[in-house]
Amino acid sequence: MNKFIIQVNGTVYGSTASFRALRFTESVLSLGHQVTSVFFYQDGVTNSSKLISPASDEHDLHLAWSRLATEHNLNLVNCVSAALRRGVLSDQDAKENRKETSNASKQFVMGGLGELVTNIEQSDRLICF
Amino acid sequence: MKKICVIFRHSPIGNASNREGLDFAMLSASFEQEVSIVFTDEAVMHLLAEQQPELVGSKDYLSTFKALSLYDIETVLVCQESAKQFGLSANDFNFEAEMASTHQIQTLIQQANEVVVY
Repeated sequence: MNKFIIQVNGTVYGSTASFRALRFTESVLSLGHQVTSVFFYQDGVTNSSKLISPASDEHDLHLAWSRLATEHNLNLVNCVSAALRRGVLSDQDAKENRKETSNASKQFVMGGLGELVTNIEQSDRLICF
Repeated sequence: MKKICVIFRHSPIGNASNREGLDFAMLSASFEQEVSIVFTDEAVMHLLAEQQPELVGSKDYLSTFKALSLYDIETVLVCQESAKQFGLSANDFNFEAEMASTHQIQTLIQQANEVVVY
């Protein structure tokens, strides 16, 4: 068994990076490996927006990540500074920045790059998408 | 402690990816990882002096590269093939970096535990 940390840099829509990351994560878990966390960085933070509303015949990657996380008790972490720059805010971020609303789903926890590095150190392999 | 090699591939202008890669590199170094950096393709333009990223709406993160040695990031390589394509010589470098052959870069990548591309 190996410990993986998955980094998602690709946006929720318009590139296939996040989809490939999702499939890779599913595959790793189905083979009995461990995923220490999925870290969303750069445009990847858009995956955590609960406002994502694709057409009914399209993939809803936000929903897919949330479901996978619930099913496998996965740790989904957003880089908070990358998220704030791109308009993805938790309830607390919205309050602190005096914004009317928040949009980050509760499945995704806001964290820092420090968590990424600590998890890299504790994992066997980092895979970036 | 892991050996982390951060590779920059994009031009400093028109892409925020580099800035986020730099944040990652510096944070990894401050978390006691052994970090090395490679500039290749259009990213070799990071080495040029007197750029004004503010004029195109970017933050001036370029001057931060001068601080790499303060973070104990000692291995900073510039792909000599890419540098040649962009007409850069080592004299043009605005911060401490070393011209490297593809072979040297290959060796660095092989020795790294993780390779992250920005």
